[in-house]
Amino acid sequence: MLEGFNSQASTFAADVDQALYINLVFSIILAVSVLGPMVYFAWKYREKNVKNENIENFVHHTGLEITWTVIPTIMMFILFYYGYSSMKSIRTMPDTSTAITVQVEGSKWKWRYEYPANANGFVHKVGGAYTKAIKDENGKVIEKGTMGRSALYVPVNTNIILEMTAPLDDVIHSFYVPAFRMKEDVVPGRKTKQWFNSADVGEYDVECAEYCGTDHSYMYSRIVVLPKAEYEAWFNSSEDTPKGNYLKSGDAVLQQHGCKSCHAIQTDKILVGPTLNTRRLTKEQVLDVINNGQNKLGYAMGAMPAGLASGADAEKIATYVAGGLKGDKPASFAACSSCHGEDGKGMFSTAPNLVEYDVDLLRNVLKNGKKGMIGTMPAFPYVSEEEVSAIAEYLKSVK
Amino acid sequence: MSNSSNSGKSYLEAGETHYAIGHPKSVFMQWMLTIDHKRIGLMYAAVIFVFFFVAVLVALSIRIELFAPGAQLFDGDSYNQAFTLHGVIMIFLFIIPGVPAVFGNIIMPLMIGAKDVSFPRLNWFTFWLYIFGALIALSSLWTGNGFADTGWTFYAPYSLNTNTNVITTLVAAFVLGMASILTGLNFLVTIHRLRAPGMDFFKMPLFVWGIYATAWIQLLATPVVGITLILALLEKMFGIGIFDPSKGGDPVLFEHLFWIYSHPAVYLMILPAFGIMSEIIPVFSRREVFGYRTIALSSASIAGIGYLVWGHHLFTSGMSDLAKTVFSFLTFFVAIPTGVKFYDWVATMYKGKIILTTPMLWALGTMITFVIGGLTGVTIAMIGADIHLQDTYYTVAHFHYAMLGGVVFLLFAGLHYWFPVMFGKMYDEKKAKIAFYLNFVGFNVLWFPMFIAGYQGMPRRYFDYLPEFQIYHQISFFGALIFISGLAYMFYVLIQGMKHGKPSGTNPWHATTLEWHLPSSPPPLENHSKVPYVDFRPYEYHHGEPVVKFDYKTMKRID
Repeated sequence: MLEGFNSQASTFAADVDQALYINLVFSIILAVSVLGPMVYFAWKYREKNVKNENIENFVHHTGLEITWTVIPTIMMFILFYYGYSSMKSIRTMPDTSTAITVQVEGSKWKWRYEYPANANGFVHKVGGAYTKAIKDENGKVIEKGTMGRSALYVPVNTNIILEMTAPLDDVIHSFYVPAFRMKEDVVPGRKTKQWFNSADVGEYDVECAEYCGTDHSYMYSRIVVLPKAEYEAWFNSSEDTPKGNYLKSGDAVLQQHGCKSCHAIQTDKILVGPTLNTRRLTKEQVLDVINNGQNKLGYAMGAMPAGLASGADAEKIATYVAGGLKGDKPASFAACSSCHGEDGKGMFSTAPNLVEYDVDLLRNVLKNGKKGMIGTMPAFPYVSEEEVSAIAEYLKSVK
Repeated sequence: MSNSSNSGKSYLEAGETHYAIGHPKSVFMQWMLTIDHKRIGLMYAAVIFVFFFVAVLVALSIRIELFAPGAQLFDGDSYNQAFTLHGVIMIFLFIIPGVPAVFGNIIMPLMIGAKDVSFPRLNWFTFWLYIFGALIALSSLWTGNGFADTGWTFYAPYSLNTNTNVITTLVAAFVLGMASILTGLNFLVTIHRLRAPGMDFFKMPLFVWGIYATAWIQLLATPVVGITLILALLEKMFGIGIFDPSKGGDPVLFEHLFWIYSHPAVYLMILPAFGIMSEIIPVFSRREVFGYRTIALSSASIAGIGYLVWGHHLFTSGMSDLAKTVFSFLTFFVAIPTGVKFYDWVATMYKGKIILTTPMLWALGTMITFVIGGLTGVTIAMIGADIHLQDTYYTVAHFHYAMLGGVVFLLFAGLHYWFPVMFGKMYDEKKAKIAFYLNFVGFNVLWFPMFIAGYQGMPRRYFDYLPEFQIYHQISFFGALIFISGLAYMFYVLIQGMKHGKPSGTNPWHATTLEWHLPSSPPPLENHSKVPYVDFRPYEYHHGEPVVKFDYKTMKRID
């Protein structure tokens, strides 16, 4: 279940769920009224049970026919009413004077949000594709990046109006928030509107629901509902993201590509594949690599041959590596350090980092997949460079 | 036409046919040039089922991709082409010709006591026009920048901007639409002009009513999509600016024009299928149908109301709230005649004698799947609910329950029911029933989880998805495996029956309508020996036995 789906976080989610509930009850009544007699007759009048002379040609019964026309008709009217009234609560726009109006632009394949100017005249523009900040050699930011996998930051218990459009040369998208039960197409050259008011602080997935091409399946965003004070503090600043690390973009990327269904992030648990919490292989895994070599990672130096160390030496190395390269370095580690470095942190494009998941390692594993002791991880060749950086940064931050 | 119908030879034998041109010696050319409605119907069946299996295999590859999050088999672009290919084949090449092209051709003229359709040469031309359209559609797989990736709906401006081979696919859809119009025209004239003497409209079998209502939709609605496709072509080639917003056009206009045809088109698919249901239920209840007139007229009223409800596809398109309200209200009126039909069918079973043959099992199984397909359609006719469920797996599951679990299941029911008429042989009933159960179970395991996934927010046309939805995709995958093995087994059983089945005789099911009163099985070239006089209702049973009996030589009543 998507985060927040069951909490009816938007004001109208309860209306929609009520309409669906009534629909479900009516559907069951109507289905039973058709299928119940069908099954019963098929059993009662089964071939063995009926003599030919007992068959009756019952072809007309005004009372019955009126009943099964009128009652379902009334039920249809009731359903129409609930469809209509829930539509009204979704579509009746709140007063613009008390609401925050955000301009939304959907384009292939990202969402951008533009806020009204704050007290200092600063206009927040968030969203778009993830781009890294560009820094000079002293670490000073030359150009700000965006958090990508854009998030729409809004205060809790406040009416938010979305004025949505797409660039003229783009295609139709649809802004869909399952947890809020709301959706409206975003049409090039038109301005469509929808609104919401969320009573629950939290993060909610936004999906594109109108087919729009190559990365339609990745056109996600998030709505981050903040406590009012936090929102105000952010809105009146010129920061890109509110304090408190809302929208961990690497987390969103891991979520999207389904990494988390096989890899634990916060804990050391081994689900299907190894944990991403540390780059700590178990002793058995290290021994497996030493004994069998490794050629699935795509580093430029190529395959690691099998049997670089053996016996007690291999044991010692495995214990050392599995322990996170802490403590006394065994002498036999020299066999490793010529490629993996004295500190075990690997060398760029030569050999992987044994200490942590750096960008290099993540990129190679995602591009080529990985074959190891636990099994084979498939390749994810379409994961972009920006996403790899986001994942690496995120993994560093949760360690 | 020369009269060869008394030779006693079946229409399947070499030389037993009429030709569009010449008198070919080769058996192959005799089939290619045949204008006999039964042979044309069989050829349609052969072709559409080949396409059906191609599209099923494409669907299986889609299911494999969706087994786990991430990209396994496809990347985004090839996945988009795969579901477009699946949709285009299933809609334009399989289900739109579907029941009318196969059974409208083979059975409808037999049911009204005609020797052929009104325009047999046009029928021949239509078949080849269909083949031509299909070839154009398939050619786009290997030409240009690859098969269209627009989805079968070709929404603007995506279809205008993409550089895949959309033009070819649009041309193909146009040509196929043309074939559909001509089929409808031919059937309309046939039903009006070639009914046996005495057979007024309310003495027609209900399948003929289904075909009749459908023919009007084919004739009146298809031109709208033809115009739309031409406009899209002009837009793509010359940039006339009708749909393209960068040239001042309106992309939502395309959606309207597209659904003005494509919504009635779903009734065009289901009405003749309902007709099959109306044939099977009374025959295997061994009694007269309940509420003949209401069933007949409900087909006509569904066809009529069906024109006025296209807007329910556009509840989230930015259309005005007033328009949404009107379209939603009208949509509920389609549910009522459909519901009445179901009650009539169930009432037909009351105090009958229910014979659970394979066709009857298919019909009753379809009642279950179509009730689910129909009622979930009511859900998304509710505007507020649709705003949430539009373009999710709920909608995907709904239309597969209605189309596959309704139209295609009934097509299979008809295939089992009229098999003796087509081939004069009987398949192995025991095996055919096993095939039914496999299909029925597999179908439900495949599609039902999607209602839940859709309600929870799984959007359609996603090749990668959030891990929350994995469980539903995996259950669906196993359902797909069961379903596909059921389909393969069913066709195996039918083909075995075609080759080695026991002779069926002319009326193995104790049915009443005219296609069971032929001089031989399979029927001779020009069908009934003489044109019968119809002074009876289509489903007259007395104590479980057909009332009307004919001398098949003279076609005079002997009861």
